[in-house]
Amino acid sequence: MKHRRCQTIALPIIAVLLLIGCAPAAVPPGEQTGTLTVLEWAGYEAPDFWTDFQTTYPHVTVNFPIGASDADVYAKMAAGDQADIFHAYTGWLEFYVEEGLVEEIDTSKLSNWDKVPDSFKRVGQVNGKQYFIPWDWGFTSILYRTDKIPEGVTSWSALLNPAYAGHISMWDDGPGAVTVSSYIHQWDETAITADQLATIKDEWIVQRDLNLFYWAGEPELIAAMAGGDVWLAYAWQGAYATLLGQGVPVAYADPVEGRNSWVGVYGIRKGTPNLDLALKFLDAKLGAATGNNVVNLFYYGHTNQDVMSGITDPALIEAFSVDDPAILEKSNFTPNLTVEQRDAWTAMWAEIKAAP
Amino acid sequence: MTTAKEAGRPASRRWRRPAVDRPAAFWLLAVPPTAWLAVFFLAPVALAILFSFRPDMRGSLFAAWTPSLNQYASLFATASYWRLLGVSAGMALITAACATVLAYPVAYFLTFNAGRRASLYLLLLLVPFWTSYMLRVMAWKFLLGSEGVINSFLSYAGLVDKPLALLIYSRPAVVITLIYVWIPFVTLPILAALQRVDPALFEAAADLGASPARVFTRITLPLSLPGVLAAFFMVFIPTVGEYVTPLLVGGTRGIMYGNIVQDFFTKAANWPFGSAMALVMLAATLALVALALRLVDVRRWLE
Amino acid sequence: MSAPARFTPLKAYFFALLALLYLPLVVLLVFSLNANTTLSFPLRGFTLDWYKQALQAEAVLRSVRNSLVVAVGSSLAATGLGSMVAVLAARYSFRGKGLLIGLAGLPLVIPYIVLGVALLLLFSALGVQRSLWTVGLAHSVVALPYTSLIVMARLAGFDQRLEEAAMDLGADYLTTLRRIVFPLAAPAMLSAALTAFTVSFDEFALALFLTGNEPTFPVYLFSQLRFASRLPMLIALAVLLMLGTLLLVFIAERLRRAE
Repeated sequence: MKHRRCQTIALPIIAVLLLIGCAPAAVPPGEQTGTLTVLEWAGYEAPDFWTDFQTTYPHVTVNFPIGASDADVYAKMAAGDQADIFHAYTGWLEFYVEEGLVEEIDTSKLSNWDKVPDSFKRVGQVNGKQYFIPWDWGFTSILYRTDKIPEGVTSWSALLNPAYAGHISMWDDGPGAVTVSSYIHQWDETAITADQLATIKDEWIVQRDLNLFYWAGEPELIAAMAGGDVWLAYAWQGAYATLLGQGVPVAYADPVEGRNSWVGVYGIRKGTPNLDLALKFLDAKLGAATGNNVVNLFYYGHTNQDVMSGITDPALIEAFSVDDPAILEKSNFTPNLTVEQRDAWTAMWAEIKAAP
Repeated sequence: MTTAKEAGRPASRRWRRPAVDRPAAFWLLAVPPTAWLAVFFLAPVALAILFSFRPDMRGSLFAAWTPSLNQYASLFATASYWRLLGVSAGMALITAACATVLAYPVAYFLTFNAGRRASLYLLLLLVPFWTSYMLRVMAWKFLLGSEGVINSFLSYAGLVDKPLALLIYSRPAVVITLIYVWIPFVTLPILAALQRVDPALFEAAADLGASPARVFTRITLPLSLPGVLAAFFMVFIPTVGEYVTPLLVGGTRGIMYGNIVQDFFTKAANWPFGSAMALVMLAATLALVALALRLVDVRRWLE
Repeated sequence: MSAPARFTPLKAYFFALLALLYLPLVVLLVFSLNANTTLSFPLRGFTLDWYKQALQAEAVLRSVRNSLVVAVGSSLAATGLGSMVAVLAARYSFRGKGLLIGLAGLPLVIPYIVLGVALLLLFSALGVQRSLWTVGLAHSVVALPYTSLIVMARLAGFDQRLEEAAMDLGADYLTTLRRIVFPLAAPAMLSAALTAFTVSFDEFALALFLTGNEPTFPVYLFSQLRFASRLPMLIALAVLLMLGTLLLVFIAERLRRAE
C-alpha cells in the first residue's frame, strides 16, 4: 500500500543521507588535531627535525620520549612502550619484525617516497616487506689527523696498528668491532663463526692497549682529535665535517675494503591507533625543509635525494662524497643482526673491556 | 629538683627512652618511609631479581617465563668480571678513604673557623654541583689533555719531557676525579656531626692544659666519628657501581664493573644478564658493608 | 673559642679546594665567550652568540624549570621520610630496627641503571606513564639514604633527657617531636635537603629512563650533546645557570647579614 511503499523508498534515502552526514569529511591538514608519540633519540626532538610536519599540521601535538641507544629503544618497545613511532638503526631491524612489534608500511601513502634512492629503500625492508622508512644516514670510516699521519690511511687495519699506539680511538660498540674485523679479514659479516669470533676477540684485546679511549659520543671524539690526543679514529662523517669546519687538518679515509654506511629508520608500532597520522608524520619527515636542516645543521645525511644533490657547503660535499655518485654502491651497508649475533658480539665486547 | 609527680615514679622509668609498648607516634613515623620504600624500591628490585632468572629477552616481556639459571651460569664462568668487581671495590675503598680524609678539614673549617660566613661557604662549595657534571668533566679533560694547559705548563717549566699520561684516560685519573667530585658531598655528614660538638668543651680542655692536638684526637675526632663513618659509607657503596666517571676519563684501563652492567642494559638489550650482574654486585657490597660494620660496631653510637 | 683568624692553614686549604672546584667552570666561561665550537686552543674570538642562542631556546628554560620542580619535590619527600627514619633509629628500640635502617640505606647499593630499569618495569606493569612524577619518585628513593644518614648522624647521642623532661611535663610525643627534636635536627635536615636537591638536580641515569615528554635539564643537555655543533650553546647555558645560582647564593647571604 502507499504507506508501505513510502517506507521502502524513504528508508534507503534516509540511510544514504545518514551515511553522507556521518562519513568523515576530509579534515584539512591545517585543522587536523591529535597526538603522536615518537620514541626518539636524544636531540632529534628539535623542531628542525620535523619542520615540514609542523608547518602542514600545526595543531597536532607530538611528544618525544627519549631512547638512549639502539638497545634501549628496542628494549622499551619490547616492554610495551605505547609510542606510535620509533627510531631505529640498521643492524637492529630484524628483532622488531621477529617480535611482531612493527607495522608493514603502505608506501603508496607517502608522497615523498619516490625521492628515496632504491638502496635506501632496501635497507628498510625485511623479508621483502617494507617495515621501515629510511631517514638519516651517514658513513663510517677512519678519520685521521693529516699532520700526525702524513702517510695517510688506506685500510681499516690502521685501527689496530701498533705504530699509532696511544692515539687511536675506537667507537664503544661490539658489533662495530666485528664489522671492522670482517672487513680486514674479508670475512662474511653475516656468517661469523665461533672461531672467527675468538680471533676477533683476541685482536681487539690487543688493540685495547693501543687505544686511548672508546668514544661514546661525537663531541668527546672531536675534542680529543682537535686537542691532538687522538690521531685516528673510527668515526662518522659528522665529526669529520665539524673538525674541517674548525680548521683542524683532518682527512676521511677511503679504505680499500670500502667505507661502512649506516641508516636510521622509522617504524610504526604494531597496533597503533594513529596509523594515518603516523604515516603523514613519516611522509613529512622525508620533506625537503626537514632534510636540509638535518644536513646543514647537524651534518647527517638525509634519504631525500633532492636534498643531498642540493648541498652547497664544501665541507659537507667532501664529507658525503656528493661528487662521487657511486659512493653508495661502494659502501658496505650494515646488515641486520640475528639475536644470537647480538648476544654473542655484545658479550664479546664486554669481555674485551673487562679483560685484565 | 624532683617534683611530686616525678618522685612517685619508679627510678628505672626516669631516663629510659620510650618503652616497647609503642605510642601512636611510632606508627606515624614508621609507616610512611616503609610503605614508600616497599612500593618504589623493594617492588622494583624484586622485579629485577625475577628478571635475572629470565633466560633471554624473547617474547613479550611481561608474559610468564620459565626460570633459568643460565644468566648466573654465564656470569660465574667469566672470571674477568669477578676480577673487575674486585678492582672496582678497591677503587671505591681508596676513593672513600681519601675523600673522607680530605673533606674532614673542610667540615672542620666550616664548623669552627668560618664563623658567620659558614653557610655562604657551604653553598659556594655546592654550587658547582648544580652545573652539569658532563660539561665540568669535559673542561677538566681540556685542562688535563696532553696538549692541555697543565701539561703545557709542566713542559714549559721543564718539569717533564713528555706529557704526563696518568692524568687522564687511566685508572688513577678515575680515582682522582671521583675523590674530587665527592669531597663537597662528603663534607655534609661530617659537618652535621661536628656541629654537635660543644665549643665549650674546647675551652674546658684548654683550661685543663690540653694541647690543640690532644683536644682534636681525644674530643673532636671521637665525637665526629659517626659523621666520618656515614661519610665513608656514603661514598664507598655507590662508587663500587660507578660508571659515568670511568666512561669519561677512564680510557680503556679505567673501566669499572658498573660500565659492564650498564653496557648490558644500553648496548646489548640483555636486561636479564645485566640484572644478574647488578644483583651479584649488590650482594658483594652488602657483604663488605656487613663485614665493616661488624668491625666498627656502629650500633654503639646508634643507641 | 678564638675569633676566626685572617689567615690559617685551614682557611687556605678551604680556598685552594674551592679554587680547584671552580677551575673547570672558569674554563667553561672562557669557551662560552669564544667562537670555537670545540674545546681546544687557539681561541677564535669573542662572541655573545652562544648566550643569545641559549636564552632563545624555550625548550632549555622549560627543562631547567622541570629539573627544579623535580629536585624540590624529591628533596622535600626524601628529607621528610629520612628524618622519620632517623628519629626512629635514634629514639626507639624495636624489633626490625636494624632492618629498617638497612632498608633505608639500601638504595645506595643499587646501580641507578638497574633501579631505572626496575622502576620502568614496575610502571609499565602498572600502566603508569613516564613523567616528571616518575623521575621525582625515583630521586626521592635514591636520596633517602643520604637524608637518613645525615639526620641520624646529628641525632645520635643527643641527650634524650630534654625529650624525657618534656614528656614528664605532660607533652605527648608528637608535641615533643615538634618542639624539641625538630629544632635540634633542623640544621641537619637543611643539610639533608641540600644534599637531596644536589643529588636530584644533575641526576642523569634515572632521569633518562624515567623521563616522559618533559625532559629534565641533564637529559636535555645530553640530548643536545649528541650534536657537536650544539656544544657551545650548552656551555653558555651551563655558565648562565651557574652564575644565576651564585647570584642567588650571594643575595641570600646579604639578606642573612641584614638580619
